[in-house]
Amino acid sequence: MDFPSTQFVSSQTMATYEPIHQIGMWGENFKSISNPNISASVIVDVVNKLENESETTSHEMLASSSKHDQEASKPFDKIQRRLAQNREAARKSRLRKKAYVQQLENSRLKLIQLEQELERSRQQGLYVGGGLDTGHLGISGAVNSGIAAFELGYERWMEERNKQICELRSALNAQISDIELRILVESGMSHYFELFRMKSSVAKADVFYVMSGKWKTSAERFFSWIGGFRPSELLKVLVPQIDPLTDQQILDVCNLKQSCQQAEDALSQGMEKLRETVSATLASDQMGQGIYVPQVAMAMEKLEALVRFVNQADHLRQQTLQQMSYILTTRQAARGLLALGEYIQRLQALSTLWANHPRKPA
Amino acid sequence: MAAAGGVRSRLHNFLEGADIGGGRRLVITGCKTSLKKLVVENAVIVFGRRGCCMCHVVNRLLLGLGVNPAVCEVDEEKEEAVLNELSIVNGGGIQFPAVFVGGKLFGGLDRVMSTHITGELVPILKEAGALWL
Repeated sequence: MDFPSTQFVSSQTMATYEPIHQIGMWGENFKSISNPNISASVIVDVVNKLENESETTSHEMLASSSKHDQEASKPFDKIQRRLAQNREAARKSRLRKKAYVQQLENSRLKLIQLEQELERSRQQGLYVGGGLDTGHLGISGAVNSGIAAFELGYERWMEERNKQICELRSALNAQISDIELRILVESGMSHYFELFRMKSSVAKADVFYVMSGKWKTSAERFFSWIGGFRPSELLKVLVPQIDPLTDQQILDVCNLKQSCQQAEDALSQGMEKLRETVSATLASDQMGQGIYVPQVAMAMEKLEALVRFVNQADHLRQQTLQQMSYILTTRQAARGLLALGEYIQRLQALSTLWANHPRKPA
Repeated sequence: MAAAGGVRSRLHNFLEGADIGGGRRLVITGCKTSLKKLVVENAVIVFGRRGCCMCHVVNRLLLGLGVNPAVCEVDEEKEEAVLNELSIVNGGGIQFPAVFVGGKLFGGLDRVMSTHITGELVPILKEAGALWL
């Protein structure tokens, strides 16, 4: 049965909408079609033919439909409805495409930013984290933001510290008064205490981040002991820089160094005990039952102690710094702080040099 | 009753003490163990959770100084009771590990570390009779 000729008039008004084949591309389902007996391909055929203003024969459409009689009775309405639905589907499809493209653009931007950051980190000789390191995979947003906040804070802290070193250098050369020098020493010390506070905060979020020393350069990490420098090692490096010392001072510094070493040993042994405990807890059952066992959760509880170790180690560093400031005169303390700052700067320079020096190909 | 270190042989003591970081291990058996008595009888006594690594650190440090502290390892079930009793003995709050010197609460790991670095710890221990020479 043929369509009434009025069909062709209406097709011209529909020339503005987009071809139906686009719908298939974006995975549109013809959910809004009222008559489920008409397949999608049939609709496409109908509309294409209308668009081309060619004579539409009924049997192509009607042959695949079992209810052609029903349709034939009101073909105009049905086709109108279908066309309206197609328009709607096309509109939705366009909106979805727009959203998708926007998402792609955002991801691309983020990728570029990340690549830039990576490049910057590589240039500074910082550890970037290989595929084997799962430190940043699968952790919550809160931990990520804690670490991000720390990294930003640390960058600022370093800038401030470098500025203080310059000030100390010029102050010592300029022979300023002890009172003024005292102010510089006090602010230098407070600045280190600030770092310990920052570390304590991020340790609560991710203690392994602090332990790994990811935020430090490679040479600094080489000397790492429980998330930072060994106080006794620093004393060995810095004391010769503070000469001359009185006999009493030499004695006091020696005692301090020995106390540091004893405290460090005690903490190291505690760490060893922690490793043993975690290891024993992990394997406390008859293994062979897979990994989803309570032993893993129990071991994690034990591992919480690691945060206390990091805090104790930083506490030791702070106490040592404090004690040195009591033993030394203001001028000696200033020289000590300058030497400490410069020593770390040299370690950082060493890291950069190492990262950039040419290596023999494998 | 708590088993005092003097009853055992020195070698046994040493071996047993190894996994707690040193010192003489005391065991709280009965519920009526007088913690106050333990605190008073020992020049230095450390109370800590069983298997606690911080307790281990305290013991290693004290041992390194030449002190032979009594160590009381508290089981998880008895933890609250012990903390309560110790708080009464002390007249204030207690946290593990808790170090008592000369019958009085000295403090936790923080205080032990600080006083050790400043050099105050050794004279205090000597005064309490925990150290000679």
